[in-house]
Amino acid sequence: MSDKKKNQIMSHPVTRRDMLKTMATGSAAGFFGMALPGALGGAPFSALPLAPKRPNIVFILSDNCRPDFMGFTVHPFIKTPAIDGLAAQGVSFDNAFCTTSLCSPSRASFLTGDYAHTHGVLNNHMPWTGQRKMFLERLKQAGYDTGFVGKFHMPGNGLPDLPFLDTFVSFDIKENQGQYFDCPLIVDGKPEASRKEYLIEELTDRAIDFIGQDHENPFCLYLSYKTAHFPFLPPKDLAGIYANEKVDLPPGADSWLGRTNGNVFEGTMVGSLDALYRRYGEAITGMDREIGRLIKKIDSSPLADNTVVIYASDNGYMWGEHRIIGINWHYEESIRIPFVVRCPWLIPDPGTRRSQMMLNIDLAPTVLEMAGVPVPADVDGQSAVPILRDGGTPGRSAWFYEYYKYFPENVPTMQGVRTRTRMYVEFEKGMRPQLFDLVRDPGEHVNLFGTAEGDRLVPGLKAMMKDLKAGKRL
Amino acid sequence: MKKQRFSRRFFSPVFLIFVIMSISWGVYNLAWRLGNVTVHHLLADIFGTLLFLSVTFGTCVVYPMAFLRGASLPERVLASLVNPLIWATKECIRMFGAFSLTESLYYYCNPLNIWLLLGIIAQMSIIEMILRHRRKKAGENIRVFSIPVVAAFVISMALVVGLYAWGRGENIFSSYLVFYKTLFGPGVGLSY
Repeated sequence: MSDKKKNQIMSHPVTRRDMLKTMATGSAAGFFGMALPGALGGAPFSALPLAPKRPNIVFILSDNCRPDFMGFTVHPFIKTPAIDGLAAQGVSFDNAFCTTSLCSPSRASFLTGDYAHTHGVLNNHMPWTGQRKMFLERLKQAGYDTGFVGKFHMPGNGLPDLPFLDTFVSFDIKENQGQYFDCPLIVDGKPEASRKEYLIEELTDRAIDFIGQDHENPFCLYLSYKTAHFPFLPPKDLAGIYANEKVDLPPGADSWLGRTNGNVFEGTMVGSLDALYRRYGEAITGMDREIGRLIKKIDSSPLADNTVVIYASDNGYMWGEHRIIGINWHYEESIRIPFVVRCPWLIPDPGTRRSQMMLNIDLAPTVLEMAGVPVPADVDGQSAVPILRDGGTPGRSAWFYEYYKYFPENVPTMQGVRTRTRMYVEFEKGMRPQLFDLVRDPGEHVNLFGTAEGDRLVPGLKAMMKDLKAGKRL
Repeated sequence: MKKQRFSRRFFSPVFLIFVIMSISWGVYNLAWRLGNVTVHHLLADIFGTLLFLSVTFGTCVVYPMAFLRGASLPERVLASLVNPLIWATKECIRMFGAFSLTESLYYYCNPLNIWLLLGIIAQMSIIEMILRHRRKKAGENIRVFSIPVVAAFVISMALVVGLYAWGRGENIFSSYLVFYKTLFGPGVGLSY
């Protein structure tokens, strides 16, 4: 794309009329794409005036990675130069969240753009339901080549049949969790041995294989790493690189805290909390190295100018905050995720941050809009393209949090609402509601429920929660 | 060996470990509220260790005390299992804060409890052999390496090590979850 053309696009404000035109064009194209998938082929497709041609899309998803455990968010010792580079060349969201802090529901939300109660994958024991379309399927119908490489993690009887994927590399052992070393793969439905010992390196190789194919169509790669899921194993050459770093655990935490809070065995079975924390960092740095290898491959090819790269994580991770190790809960450390987008022709101010609330459910509509594919009106998420284009675009004011009990994690089913300044949750069993003022009490230590202030705020928050669950956007 | 009264040969060894376990649990879980990081970490390290030792290796105290006070084999075995069972029940009750009664009961069978049980069997059998050896040295006509005791030790240790070696314990945990799903499905629709 020429600079002149880019400037024209950047300076052209997107009106509601433009959006409707885009949707209409996209709808028609989508219709023909569905009716004549072969005929669409690699034909020019310019529903959205963003890229000179339909962009390639690379989405990288990590597991349990906290946004403040990255170099660009200034972690004291964890190094992530590749992700830092993406943030420097694109934008990062300071307020990105998952709508369910649990792997499978959050992954299904990334794939569909829907809340868990809409897509139906409620916890990690549930297989892919298929009741909502993945954005990959919509892209395929619009003529994209599609690849899914890595952790699928919606454990059913093996992996689901997803015929809209041109490449599907995954694994089903250990409840779809896979293993860091010598993980047997399933490649397009057939068992296959891993060529590399370390899973993360193998997945990167497979991703590079996919993008290196002679694509006649634009492609979308969904690369889903196992890192940094327990047991946080780094590649062998990086094991111990943070062994001498001082770990600064939050107040209240101690080395005996286990993943099952208070369970005395956990800390003993798997080592001290400090050691786990360091290993978690080493695993993240190992994954970052692989992301760097992939980015280098993209940037050294003709793909660079027309490829969007997005990085996010399925959920955060609590390292002793509230004396909890793990995810599941509604607390900030558990629900905040890193979200970085590099899209040179769309982002006028690379290296900046966006403060709007970005969600896992926003990925699918964002990617569809970038690709010029119509975003179905009933998708829960919202495209972040306007926010990417203009950092001053107002974002949402609230979103729905939900969690469904997942044995054996000792966390009750809950639902709540997160506004820009507050978090309110109700539990199905065992706990009274919690309301936190995130401005005055960012550590969420003072429950306002039952106080005069809480009594004043709760009715409005309950109403918001109800509206959001019913599909209303706030 | 003189058989002492029940409270001395059974109850007091169990109670001794129960008190250590309870105090350790209480101090460990309350220490952070002191607000002093140094004191908290010191207490957490001391009482976390004591809690772990009392639950996992309390048998090493209970079993020989019961043995030396004349407890029968069933009494010794039962005494060794009481405190771990109390701990497992506490964990089960904790689970009931989020899950149904049946799911909470299923939590009794989790791999950590299986390991704990196997570890206790291994401890009991090795202590039994050591104590028999001492009695034999003292002139008693007793067989040190009886088949049931040796078999209990070998099988339990093999399972403790083998289950961990099998994928660093992840595979047994996965199997536990697979069986959970067979019984309860995904669990989200279960009423309380």
